[in-house]
Amino acid sequence: MAVMDATNRLRTWAQAMRDWPRSIGMPGVTKPELRAALNATDDWIEANQGSFNAALPIPFRTTATVPQKVFLFCYVAMRRAGRLKAQED
Amino acid sequence: MATVTQQLDPGSGQFLSTAFPALVRGGTNFPVVGLAYDAAANEAAFWLIRAANYGTGNVTVDVDWYADTATTGAVVWQAQLAAITTDTDTQDTETKALATLDTVTDSHLGTVGQRLHRAVITMTNLDALAADDDLWIRIARDAANAADTMAGDAILTLATVSYSDV
Repeated sequence: MAVMDATNRLRTWAQAMRDWPRSIGMPGVTKPELRAALNATDDWIEANQGSFNAALPIPFRTTATVPQKVFLFCYVAMRRAGRLKAQED
Repeated sequence: MATVTQQLDPGSGQFLSTAFPALVRGGTNFPVVGLAYDAAANEAAFWLIRAANYGTGNVTVDVDWYADTATTGAVVWQAQLAAITTDTDTQDTETKALATLDTVTDSHLGTVGQRLHRAVITMTNLDALAADDDLWIRIARDAANAADTMAGDAILTLATVSYSDV
């Protein structure tokens, strides 16, 4: 899975600013600085996907597709960020 | 000689069919109503007032705003107007063009994210404004401007228009 193209990065950046929770507050950075952080995050995911994959236990590692692994990764990250509400909550 | 001041309430703003700020309401102890201008897309709101007792000189537009989530950066505010003298101007009202826009860049003053700021736009492009004209005013955030560096929405709580009566 490649890094996002410029359009997708732009849209992710725009939507992140719209959805940014007041509860955690925006760090003291400008729009270009936030965009740079977003790009770096995308680059890091790309560079470290092998490490993530290696950390996954079998049988999930060997049976799940890349989109399935990305989905799982996102759900864990969203929950950690307080953006995922479960029915049990 | 006096200064005439008129208030533009966010709740009375009008919009085109696209690219407009959302009307939002917050506040713990009293309602804080505003127009939330996006950080990534240019959005605009419009008001119509009568330029009662307008004399001469520039028009000043004060934009009172606060940041939704940011604590740093700057916002580029734009104002434009279109003036029509009733019974005199023959211009089609619905196709009337706005005058050249005027801008100001206002920096977040930090310390508290949602502190109130005032950006002052001196409008020099007046579209041959005359006393008692019908005056359409457009207020926008130029989010695509390189000088607009503040992340997150800028919420307009009140705008005022002022000018001299002589």
